[in-house]
Amino acid sequence: MSAKLDLLQGTLDLLVLQTLVSMGPLHGYGIARRIEQQSGDQVLLNQGTIYAALVRLQHRGWITAEWGTSGNNRRAKYYSITRDGRKQLAEETSNWQRLAAVIERVLAK
Amino acid sequence: MTLRELLSRLTRRHLDRDFEDEIATHLELAESENLQRGMDPAEARRRAAIKFGSVTSAKEGVWTQRGLPGFGSFLQDLKYSLRGMRKSPGFAAVTVLTLAICISLCSVIFCTLNGTFLRPAPGVADPTGLVTLQSPVAYPHFEQYRGDKAAFIGPVPFTVDKARIFGHLVSSEYFSLLGVEPLLGRFFDATLDLPGAAPTVVLSEVYWRTHLHSDPGVVGSSLRLNGIQATIVGVAPKDFIGILPMPHPAEIFVPVTADPRVAPELADDALHRTTQPVFRVLFRLPSGESLSAAEARLDAETRGFPDNLTHKDEKGRLVHVSSAAHLAPVTPALNAMIVMFYTMLVALILTLTCANLAGLILARGRARAREIAVRLSIGASRLRLIRQLLTESLLLAVLGGAAGFLAIWGFFKILPKLAPSADPVIQRQFFPDFHLALFAFLISTAAGVGFGLMPALAITRPDLATALKTSMRTGFGIHRRFGLRNLFVVYQVAVAMILVLLMGFLTLGIRYGTNRDPCFDPTPLYVFSLDPGTDGLTSQESAAMFAGLTRRSLSGIDRITFSDQAVFSFGDSFPNTAVTVHDAVKQVAMQMIGPGFFATLGVPILRGTEFTDRDLHSDPALLPAVINMTAARELFGDADPLGRRIRQDDRDFQVIGVVHFDRPVIFKNEPAATVFLPMTMQDLGRRPRQGTTIIVRSGTHLDEASLRNSLAAIDARLNPFDLRTMQADLAEQERLGQIVAAFYLPIGGFGLILACLGLAGVTAQAVEQRRKEIGIRMALGARREQLLGLVMHEGAIMVTTGAAFGLVCVYGIARAMSAAYAPLAQAIAWGGSNPMLTVGVPALLVSLALVACYVPARRSATIDPLIALRED
Repeated sequence: MSAKLDLLQGTLDLLVLQTLVSMGPLHGYGIARRIEQQSGDQVLLNQGTIYAALVRLQHRGWITAEWGTSGNNRRAKYYSITRDGRKQLAEETSNWQRLAAVIERVLAK
Repeated sequence: MTLRELLSRLTRRHLDRDFEDEIATHLELAESENLQRGMDPAEARRRAAIKFGSVTSAKEGVWTQRGLPGFGSFLQDLKYSLRGMRKSPGFAAVTVLTLAICISLCSVIFCTLNGTFLRPAPGVADPTGLVTLQSPVAYPHFEQYRGDKAAFIGPVPFTVDKARIFGHLVSSEYFSLLGVEPLLGRFFDATLDLPGAAPTVVLSEVYWRTHLHSDPGVVGSSLRLNGIQATIVGVAPKDFIGILPMPHPAEIFVPVTADPRVAPELADDALHRTTQPVFRVLFRLPSGESLSAAEARLDAETRGFPDNLTHKDEKGRLVHVSSAAHLAPVTPALNAMIVMFYTMLVALILTLTCANLAGLILARGRARAREIAVRLSIGASRLRLIRQLLTESLLLAVLGGAAGFLAIWGFFKILPKLAPSADPVIQRQFFPDFHLALFAFLISTAAGVGFGLMPALAITRPDLATALKTSMRTGFGIHRRFGLRNLFVVYQVAVAMILVLLMGFLTLGIRYGTNRDPCFDPTPLYVFSLDPGTDGLTSQESAAMFAGLTRRSLSGIDRITFSDQAVFSFGDSFPNTAVTVHDAVKQVAMQMIGPGFFATLGVPILRGTEFTDRDLHSDPALLPAVINMTAARELFGDADPLGRRIRQDDRDFQVIGVVHFDRPVIFKNEPAATVFLPMTMQDLGRRPRQGTTIIVRSGTHLDEASLRNSLAAIDARLNPFDLRTMQADLAEQERLGQIVAAFYLPIGGFGLILACLGLAGVTAQAVEQRRKEIGIRMALGARREQLLGLVMHEGAIMVTTGAAFGLVCVYGIARAMSAAYAPLAQAIAWGGSNPMLTVGVPALLVSLALVACYVPARRSATIDPLIALRED
């Protein structure tokens, strides 16, 4: 198995937002696990770094947080995406796809 | 919310706890998933932790993202600042002391404004919309005004138990209009206090407490007012000392319906005559009505009165309205002028202090440049450093502000002991209060930002490479610019110049205006007052008493005479009476005097004679007159004035004498043409407002008891008051000058000292910075004077620039102030005409500043080139 991929700057936010859209409200561990599973364990993710991203997204008003109880009866913070967050996600996704297409075209000679 | 919770919220500690919870949950969830995959518990925990990564760096990531630090980092800054202060206590002490003086000076100014213009008069429950007409009106006219109104005469003197006190004669609406409720008993009532009813009186709380020992059963007992029994019907609430209590607070209140024997001011049926405009009118304006709108409305109403006697002013107004809510009536124009002047003064003092301290901090900043550079280079954000530096200056500012506030508070605490004669209620009016605390806090915070921000910006300017490499002792002339600090010094010199000169103008001007040549020797003279009307003498008895006074020989009294006014302090008449001589109209001052007036004073008669007892019985249509030399010149030129006539309205005066009594009028540096007229028997029977001034020449010491004994030979009822020596009376007029000096001179001195200290500091630093340059010059053979000149040159440029700028500003401000207020124009003109001030003060300031420059500059000669060159 080849070395894991480093996440590009800013892509973690995108992955978190997408995860919240597809999974609904989720706690930090859930989000981290989901990203790992979706990527087929291809990305290198210190799970701890996800929390900085969560605070950042909260500050920008793209996600909100609420205290709840996790499956194992622990106090856990559940994050969910806001309307602004969805808008942002749509925008970022199309940006990303354009960028990826451009890079692919250039690399394909 | 408990304090601990609040603190934790402020410090974001709760956020940290939440995040720890979140991490714990995360690790547990990961662990249990690993367990489900069949790992053993120890391995499950280890893998979960590895997967999570460093908890510390996760926390740091979150902290960074939270961005704007809250109270927590403020506490951090504060702790750091306190540590810094402990490390350099000298700097902290100087800063706090400078600020404390600055804040106390500003606070005194604020207290003056606060007591005079902001705080309502003591004891007045609801001051909104209270106004008064500037000139008194007749009672029938008062009754014609519409709206909420009250009338009063005051302050008027009363004699109670041989003591003289002041009170107000008030209409029944007076207390209700002011919203004042009685402490005991009742106030006056239109249905109870009818004309002809038994005399009644209401006491002020102060009088009740100090004279009647707060007797709770006082209502119903009686007080002897001017020899007549009056029933005490009530006591006014605490602190209420009447409306407009300056200069005489009211100790008692008597209804306007009172018997004229109790209140002689009400004689001749004053309530029903339109010819006696003696009543002050108070109004409460309907809410929302402005002072100018009220003036227009009341003016229109006054025009409608059929038989009014008031005269139009130059603008065609019959009445003028001023606010009655404060200690004394203040016109809006004067109010604006004073507030503006004081605001300017505060702004100048504050900015001067800020410039000085900013310079100090910059100098210190240079010393800290390495520390700052290191902190910047290891990743502190500039914003964070600026905040840290600002926290330091704010801390110093708040400490200084608190010290200044406490100093002022202490000053007012001991003030009653320093000035025991002043009325305690009025004194309290100026005491520090919540407003002052707020003001002091606001200006100290403003100062903190003011002297902290610019240096903080300058010190943290990222110029890392230089800062780290050199020790900030930048080498040669070309690298040094005319920096921020030099600019601060120029500003300080300019403001010092403005403060010293303006304060000098005011102090000297007022001194000059009040310190007049008396034109006679005051040493053996005494002055006292008599008010036979309140002592119970009838008009005829009064006249006979005065007539007898100069004829009888009294023990201990060599000569005695009298005058209609307290002539020698502020009572001078201004030349405001129009007389005609040969159809030419002239303005003269008039004074009524008794027989032997000039002989008593020791003033020489140049021509003719002065008044004798015979003149008491002069024909009122052709009075004899004595004039002073100025009047002789202005009215008659070179002609002989004796026997000539002067006409005023429908009466004539005939000149019988000329005296050399040409005293300069207060606030005018030239004497006024004065016509002295004899007091006649008719005048002596009439009762003047503040009593008649008696002047006595006595070879022995005169005290109140011996005076009373001497006077008892004439009439036992006589009650002399206000006995003082003529010298004390003359000194009274200089009091204003002394008060002004005590108030303004410290401000000027503070400016001067700060500017010099600032200059000395900046020069010392310049010498320090140029050590290497000076060392090289020395090594190349420069002489001591040349080096001194090198350093002094820069200082001299700063001083002259600042001084010139300051002079221009002073000129502008003085012009503006003169234009705004006429009496001030006079004072400023005198100050301006005094070369000691206009040339001497700038010269003094410049030379002091150069000395402040020279002292540290001399150090340049002590630099050893060998050491200076080998350093670094």
